[in-house]
Amino acid sequence: MTRTPLRPLARVLEARAKGQNPAAIERENIHKRHEEMRDSTRARAEGRLLVLAAFFFCAFAVVGTRMGVMATAEPREPIASASGASIATQRGDIVDRQGRILATNFETHSLYAQPPLMVDPMAAADGLVQIFSDLDKDRLVKDFTGKRKFLWIKKRISPEQKQAVHDLGDPGLLFGPREMRLYPNGQLAAHVLGGAGFGKEGVSAAEVIGVAGVEKKFDTYLRDPANGAKPLQLSLDLTVQAAVERVLFGGMKIMNAKGASAVLMDVHTGEVISAASLPSFDPNDRPRPPTSGFDPSDSPLFNRYVQGVYELGSVYKIFTAAQAVDLGLVNSNTIIDTSGPMRIGRFPIGEFQGKNYGKLSVADIIVKSSNRGTGRLAIQIGGKRQQQFLDGLGMFDPTPFEIVEAAGGKPLLPKKWGELSTVTISYGHGLSTSPMHLAAGYAAIANGGNYVSPTILKKTGAQYGPRVMSNNAAKQARAMLRKVVTSGTASFGEVPGYEVGGKTGTADKPKPRGGYYDKKVIATFASIFPMSDPKYVLVVTLDEPSILAYGEKRRTAGWTAVPVAAELIGRVAPLLGLRPKVEQPDPAAIRLTAN
Amino acid sequence: MSYLEHNLKSTPSGLRKFLFMNWPLTLLLISVASVGFLMLYSVAGGSFTPWAEPQMKRFALGLAVMMVVAMVPIWFWRNMSVVAYLTSIALLFAVELVGTVGMGAQRWIDLGFMRLQPSELMKVTLVMLLAAYYDWLPAKRTSRPIWVILPVLLILFPTFMVLRQPDLGTAILLLAAGGAMMFFAGVHWAYFGAVIAAGVGLVAAVFNSRGTDWQLLKDYQYRRIDTFLDPSTDPLGAGYHITQSKIALGSGGWSGRGFMQGTQSRLNFLPEKHTDFIFTTLAEEFGFVGGFSLLALYTLIIIFCVATALATRDRFSSLVTLGIAVNFFLFFAVNMSMVMGLAPVVGVPLPMVSYGGSAMLVLLAAFGLVQSAHIHRAR
Repeated sequence: MTRTPLRPLARVLEARAKGQNPAAIERENIHKRHEEMRDSTRARAEGRLLVLAAFFFCAFAVVGTRMGVMATAEPREPIASASGASIATQRGDIVDRQGRILATNFETHSLYAQPPLMVDPMAAADGLVQIFSDLDKDRLVKDFTGKRKFLWIKKRISPEQKQAVHDLGDPGLLFGPREMRLYPNGQLAAHVLGGAGFGKEGVSAAEVIGVAGVEKKFDTYLRDPANGAKPLQLSLDLTVQAAVERVLFGGMKIMNAKGASAVLMDVHTGEVISAASLPSFDPNDRPRPPTSGFDPSDSPLFNRYVQGVYELGSVYKIFTAAQAVDLGLVNSNTIIDTSGPMRIGRFPIGEFQGKNYGKLSVADIIVKSSNRGTGRLAIQIGGKRQQQFLDGLGMFDPTPFEIVEAAGGKPLLPKKWGELSTVTISYGHGLSTSPMHLAAGYAAIANGGNYVSPTILKKTGAQYGPRVMSNNAAKQARAMLRKVVTSGTASFGEVPGYEVGGKTGTADKPKPRGGYYDKKVIATFASIFPMSDPKYVLVVTLDEPSILAYGEKRRTAGWTAVPVAAELIGRVAPLLGLRPKVEQPDPAAIRLTAN
Repeated sequence: MSYLEHNLKSTPSGLRKFLFMNWPLTLLLISVASVGFLMLYSVAGGSFTPWAEPQMKRFALGLAVMMVVAMVPIWFWRNMSVVAYLTSIALLFAVELVGTVGMGAQRWIDLGFMRLQPSELMKVTLVMLLAAYYDWLPAKRTSRPIWVILPVLLILFPTFMVLRQPDLGTAILLLAAGGAMMFFAGVHWAYFGAVIAAGVGLVAAVFNSRGTDWQLLKDYQYRRIDTFLDPSTDPLGAGYHITQSKIALGSGGWSGRGFMQGTQSRLNFLPEKHTDFIFTTLAEEFGFVGGFSLLALYTLIIIFCVATALATRDRFSSLVTLGIAVNFFLFFAVNMSMVMGLAPVVGVPLPMVSYGGSAMLVLLAAFGLVQSAHIHRAR
């Protein structure tokens, strides 16, 4: 602070001259300065007090408002303010095409402990071990007597167990309501439904979330309270599904296969009426995914009909034939030379068991399943057009089938689509797809040449996509497929009255590190029925089948997949409401019985 | 000077001081405490034991202490503040050595007839010391760095000791009250700005670094912070009280369920119903009206304190009064916010209402200082 010198002589003299007391002036100055200082401090302090007052006021306002808001809020039960508040409890049901329950909800209880509330932790642990044999007593005692304030004991308990725990009478053992997903049909349609697990878990509720299948795909829809009690309706038919799974299981056992799948699809709508993958699991108790070092395709969780991407073999030949007819290159009677040897670059193209069929009509190429014949057709078609055609059938992308696993079923295409690829793919090698892809492709042939996308949701009316081939080509292809059953490789596929047509395919399984297994095959039978008015496509695949027949180990589809498919059709067709076409009775037989 | 004038302008002496006490403030304190008795009576299920009766006795004792403190001239307390501060520090050390461990923290010294909680004492003695410091310090030096660092150290030292107990609530209160004292004393804005900016920056850095390579804390530490800030993620642990008290407040509604009709608190849903969470009982039984009335009482107490601070002329009196007002304010503001889920749960009782000895005694003694400042103010 700058100060005027205490008593400059000039001023003293000046003051004296005026007759004033310089000491008094000085005192007055000092006094004034002090006043000023005090005033400024005061002003500052008051300014700060104002800030404080503003702060206080804000705090009061906030606390008061909050108090008001909370007081006027509806009094809510603990459930609403616990973490369960945000957990929507009602998950929509899933029903089949006729409205029968596939998945619903079920109220159970969870059991948890609050050790600080326990009266006698030792006795409680004792009692719990007696009720739940899988609990470890030492661990319980440790938890109950340790520092933990809360622990889950069981996430789901039955009413009997609940009563038993209740009877233990320990106040530290508590129950919370817990909604769980129930699949009343057990293993039925397990791969479609997938399963559900718990997401956020609170004491008073737990969030049920889909973990696989449609449960996951439509999780948001199922959880959305806006949908109310409206269930999710699938295209599956519970009755048909049950029959398919049962027959397929039997077939798989008889054929000594380690896995099997079946897809039954409506050819006009793309609705999947039944889809089965074996071995299966119970979605009520979904197993854990396999850990590493274990082939995931051996797990029951593996969904063969969408994830089982394999080269499906000769079943593809019909696409080549149909396209060749569609392009007007041939008709079903055109004679093709299938004799060998045939080489593409340095690769020989051979027939099954080294046969040589000589000159065959296009229809007979399919009936006899000639690789060289199909290959020659494919060369005429050309790689470009072949790719366009297969792409149109949806063979290049994962199927739009609405379960989460479907996105993983991505077809494997050759890196470079050269002439060799064109030829091998024409008979189903070099392009890997899932059975679901195949079913969609056959549906196009069956419905007169329109692509349909496979769906798990119930539809009404035909759902034709873009046309992929002419009606005529589809019709000729169907005739060839029928002939395969009546006089070809699939003769075991005949089901009296249901006019089955189809094509077999036997493909060697690839080794994980390249090359193919010698004696492990995927046997496939893709069929259409009834041929006179095609309604359904059924694709059956067996994984590594082998059966002893006529003194020989048989692995080809004609011996394995076809009989299973025939049995399936015979069982399922009546359930689908198809009437068998009664054969014209043999007059002689009638006469015999009359006698 | 006429007798009347003399009466008004001279500092009273002897027993006449009694008449010059800030009686409205005293009455407000008594009424707030009475609310406490009522609530303690209610949570005990309509019984004076185990809480209401001891609380009343302690309040009577506290009132007596307040009177005694009030009778002693304020300058004596100013001269004693260094001693008081050092005594508190010594007691904090003593708690480290011989303290009783309660509720997972070491906070008390058992004196036989009562449990002494030195951290409570510290709140008042810190305010006294800082007031005395700024009273002594010439105003123009207030903002010089060296004279700023000294009070900061005086605040931080006891704060860290309390934090070690561990008692986060009291530590925060100490820090806040000390900061407020420095603010009132007129320390330059820039210091506060810098501290706030640094604090915000640190918090931002800690949170932004989460999940990056230069993450400042360990993952579990972040999770703890999460639970601390949002107790609803742990409804049975940290969030339990909050959940229950929210229900209580909600079920109280506008005018409450009526005296002794609260279910949440009386049915033992709330473990700390007679101490930190007693406000929930009040809100449940007397509703918004009851809760807001208590808030109004508190506000009036603050207003009377501030009025006293404005009426006094000497720096120590006004600073100590404001400091105590701020302390009191922090007490109930933090408690109410915590009960209403506005702030994380830190153990801060509701002043004058919650069951508890040392907190109330110390508060009443502190109000004795306010009364003393009021009585002995220059006229």
